[in-house]
Amino acid sequence: MTKTFWIGIIIVLIVSVMGVCYQKYLSTHHCAYDGCAVTAIYEVDIVLKDSSVKKFCSIYCATQWFKKNIQLVDHVIVTDEIRGKKIDSYMAYFVVSDLITNKTNNNRIHAFQQRQHAQTHAKKFNGSTVDDPFEIDE
Amino acid sequence: MIVNIFTLIMLFIAVLSCVLGGYLFYATFKTLFHFKKIVPLEAKSKFEERGYLIFLLACVALSVRMFAWPWFYFMLQSFVSEVPGAMCIFGVTRVLPDTVTFLQIIKPISFFIMGGWLLCYYVDKSIPTSPLARKNLLLLLPICGVLLTDSIGDIYYVIHMKPLMSVSCCATFFDTPLRPSAMIPQALFGSDFQQALFIVFYATNIILIILLFTSLSRKWQSLASLPKNVMLYSQVVIAVVNIPIVIISFFENIGPTLMQLPLHHCIYCFMGKGIVPDAPVILGLFAIGTFAIGWMVILHLICRNGETQVVTEKLLRKVNGLSLFCLLAFIMMVTIHLILI
Repeated sequence: MTKTFWIGIIIVLIVSVMGVCYQKYLSTHHCAYDGCAVTAIYEVDIVLKDSSVKKFCSIYCATQWFKKNIQLVDHVIVTDEIRGKKIDSYMAYFVVSDLITNKTNNNRIHAFQQRQHAQTHAKKFNGSTVDDPFEIDE
Repeated sequence: MIVNIFTLIMLFIAVLSCVLGGYLFYATFKTLFHFKKIVPLEAKSKFEERGYLIFLLACVALSVRMFAWPWFYFMLQSFVSEVPGAMCIFGVTRVLPDTVTFLQIIKPISFFIMGGWLLCYYVDKSIPTSPLARKNLLLLLPICGVLLTDSIGDIYYVIHMKPLMSVSCCATFFDTPLRPSAMIPQALFGSDFQQALFIVFYATNIILIILLFTSLSRKWQSLASLPKNVMLYSQVVIAVVNIPIVIISFFENIGPTLMQLPLHHCIYCFMGKGIVPDAPVILGLFAIGTFAIGWMVILHLICRNGETQVVTEKLLRKVNGLSLFCLLAFIMMVTIHLILI
């Protein structure tokens, strides 16, 4: 074992620790409800009346927060699971299926921009369409 | 064609290696056809110059081509924003899927055989009489074939890549209950296979590291008292078994855990999205560590010659050290991530 070998190993260890630190503290947004990292494909943004935005890791977390803070909410933006596009929740189709998006909260609700995609998903994963969980009564 | 800095560099590399590879194939074939063990003195200098030119060209072409493997994934990542519906490299691979699959298979193969050839050339170059020149030239012919196929594939893909179709997200492919990466361990270890897979992953990697360390350390070698050939071939067998184990573990256990997405099994999201910033380093270390074991076999089979014995032995130790370093660093990086995340 040469000196270079051990220097290399130390460098690799430093790189991996830096990678973890970056991942943990710098890179991702954290869910405003349970603190999990927010994945772009399942992201839900709740826009408040003061124009600030709360980011959530799943529809489950967003609905839990939404129920308690409905009076602060202006509108909700969900992500289409097929194309990754952000759309207003009232335009989206929601499906509850066997496919879990987040193991920590067992979220089974999925959002789609197109009805056809929602139906295909429901067929494939034994699901059914549900109403918009972010409906705001005027 | 999508025009960006990644496609332009890829196209440049592909065209350059295609031209160089074409000429190399022709020159190698011609030289092999006229190859004589004893060359008359008056033709010796011309013969040496030609041989030197071929080997120099081969070194340039192969080195450039080896660089194309990681660059290919950088290029695919740059297409993500261009392809409607793509969230990661997986989405991009749905456009021209056959070509991408072909390129994804041929690139590691060409990286491996080209690396092996460069090491054989290094041995040959270290000896003034060049005893492996004919073997290296013979080996260069199929390598030129792979190089040309790979380059033409790259050119075809870059030119025909048009983001006109809408693709689906990786979640609809990788996160289904009947995905192949889950079915195989499920068949072997039952429905609760996660823990067993972790144990197998660590066991094979640690055994491989111990074997590599044993063949490097004279003290351990004398303790183990195994012939060198047995040691080398057992390393190869475990390395080959280790490849599917690591791939399945990354799909099922390590990838989702490191991404902090326990139900997302997409390897492209793991390596390309920047969720785990050092993921390409982790995968690169594993690839080089495993390939290095294969390169040791190539050196052992091709360069085992009376004249080259000393140089080959020295190089074998260096490649052994490289493999040990890469696999040890790989397993340490994975462990640090698993502990700290």
